[in-house]
Amino acid sequence: MKAANANDIIQLRQALAQRFPQVRTWSEQPPQKSRSCWPTGLPSLDALLQGGLPKGALTEVVGPRSAAGTATFLHALVRRSHQTRQFAALIDGHDSFDPGALTNAALSRLLWVRCHSAEEAIKAADIVLRDRNFPLVALDLKTNPNAQLRKISPTAWYRMQRIAAQNGVTLVVLTPLAIGGCADARLNLESRFTLDDLAKEPEALALVLKFELVRWALGGAADATAAQAG
Amino acid sequence: MHAVIYIPNFHLQAALRLEPQLASRPVALMDQTESKAVVMQMTDAARAFAVAEGQTSTQAMARCGEILIRARSRAQEDAAAEILLQCAYCFSPRIESTATGVCTMDLRGLAINDDIADGDAAGAADWAGRILRALQQTHLRAQIGVAETPELAWKAAREAMPFLCVTDAGAFLASLTVSSLEAAPELLDILDRWGVRSVGSFLALGKDRIAERLGPDAVDVFDRALARESRPLKLVTPAETFDEFMEFEEPIETLEPLLFVLRRFVEQLANRLDVVYLVAGELRLRLGLSSGEPHERAFSIPSPTRDVETLFRTLNTHLENVRTDAPISSLRLTAKPGRAAHFQFGLFETALRDPNQFHETVARLGALLGSNRAGAPRLLPTHRPDAFAMDPLLAGEEQTGEPAPISGPALRRCRPQIAAAVELRGDRPVLVHSPAVRGAIARTQGPWQISGDWWDNARWSREEWEAETTDGDLCRLVRQGDEWLVDGLFD
Repeated sequence: MKAANANDIIQLRQALAQRFPQVRTWSEQPPQKSRSCWPTGLPSLDALLQGGLPKGALTEVVGPRSAAGTATFLHALVRRSHQTRQFAALIDGHDSFDPGALTNAALSRLLWVRCHSAEEAIKAADIVLRDRNFPLVALDLKTNPNAQLRKISPTAWYRMQRIAAQNGVTLVVLTPLAIGGCADARLNLESRFTLDDLAKEPEALALVLKFELVRWALGGAADATAAQAG
Repeated sequence: MHAVIYIPNFHLQAALRLEPQLASRPVALMDQTESKAVVMQMTDAARAFAVAEGQTSTQAMARCGEILIRARSRAQEDAAAEILLQCAYCFSPRIESTATGVCTMDLRGLAINDDIADGDAAGAADWAGRILRALQQTHLRAQIGVAETPELAWKAAREAMPFLCVTDAGAFLASLTVSSLEAAPELLDILDRWGVRSVGSFLALGKDRIAERLGPDAVDVFDRALARESRPLKLVTPAETFDEFMEFEEPIETLEPLLFVLRRFVEQLANRLDVVYLVAGELRLRLGLSSGEPHERAFSIPSPTRDVETLFRTLNTHLENVRTDAPISSLRLTAKPGRAAHFQFGLFETALRDPNQFHETVARLGALLGSNRAGAPRLLPTHRPDAFAMDPLLAGEEQTGEPAPISGPALRRCRPQIAAAVELRGDRPVLVHSPAVRGAIARTQGPWQISGDWWDNARWSREEWEAETTDGDLCRLVRQGDEWLVDGLFD
């Protein structure tokens, strides 16, 4: 009797798989996501992520301290975007981006969206992600108050992740604490700049940024718990 | 050779152009401007219920309970007449607006003229088919006649189903009934009593005998029936305006019905532009309000197109944020035609994939955040801190400028600067307290005295300090007079 039931279940599964080929059952392995990358030009980070920031995915970069290097990382992304002659969008959650450290040439391919709250930034990100003109979209929530960040609905992160996946956009979110529960990759920025670093070149500082990979949901990368770079 | 494009039931077709689904239903067109409104034209479905010209709406509804009554629209008729001329102009440079819904084309010098002379009936039919399909795109059903003279072509167009090319004028005229002569009813009655049923029989009577027995009016009819003489066309050049207008019977107060009509307008304009191989470079929207004051807005299309979705989205994004003081009584949408943009990029050049989509994105961001909050930053040629302007993002064009001389980690600016309480030991800050940064200061660099624009009213000066707290925060402090401010944090 038990054997008959097992056969019925197998037949039922086969019938369902034929009827609804797009539906995945719980026991099946999730399909491998696309692993094309957006190289950052930072050798340590690109090596850690096996090529660069994953395209069509949400990467969260967490910088818990104030001088951890998230803004320096952001400027490095803008410079790289200009070098590769691509457009990029920056959703600035607290209007804190300083364009003065970049050249007009580097800024000419950047769409800077100046928001005053995390709520505004999430809405703006939703609009920009649907645009499909920007291969790289950075959402900077590093200086937004924690109270604003906690009010962001979890569904907003899922929605942004889905849109990024659909449109093949590399979405980078800079936060002071891990809030994007559905992030495909999460990096901790462990740098600590000092007063002596003010005399150094920004490009040189970007090269010594210390990243730690703490989450990787795309398959095929280094062990998330141990991977470090920089 | 000449060709005539004839749109039968022109007034009705013009009125139903924006509602093509009604063409198969019983519909009667009334002229409400006349003192006694009667049925002008009707669809075949209405005619099948014995609805006829000259009946009142009550009589028409008595014959067909499901009949829809539509009012004649001069604006729609003007638009349909424009479409007819614009379409004809694509196929011949010499066209005449002969009558309402009738356009005569001179085919001299065109390839179709040679085709007909060579007896290539298939080529002529293909040529006419292209005209008919172009008009069909804009929901206008036409008939085309081709013949040696304009009069004969007009007769052929009336008999065409939907295309007729007359090569043997005598045989064609002989086959026509006398009712096609456009003669006075009295003359037709006499011919009927004489047993003259066809134009061929009428012409066989001879001009002299007709003049002798029926008078000079009948001679005119005879000459017209003969259609032997050609005449010069009164040439016209159609205006390059693409305009759709509708006056609502009841003023509109919500967005949904407005968008419904607007989509029809956009589809029509896109089809009209498609027919003449143009694209929309600018859209102009005019909402007539019942209060009298119209709402007008022009939309520049960044990458000229006739894609319905793109054009409609542009209007939709704007209208979602429009509030009018009074209900909308009329709608006008005008497309200014342009040429499709062509770019030749370098091998490694990249551009915005979809400039229209980007334009819409910026409009949406503007609606969400307000103006001047989204764009490409441009550094101003000054040493004043945080001096920049927001420019539109330039597709493919690159600004140039001096390399930024700033070193160190990037600064996260506080806009506006945050007031701070700073404790000094000697001249140097040792403690800072502000919402952005607080704590004992371990090390400092400064002061840096900077100033500029001293020659005009915009002069500025400040004293900058860079400080590292014992907690590891790295900030820039600014002293202006006795006031301390946090300019930003290095990150």
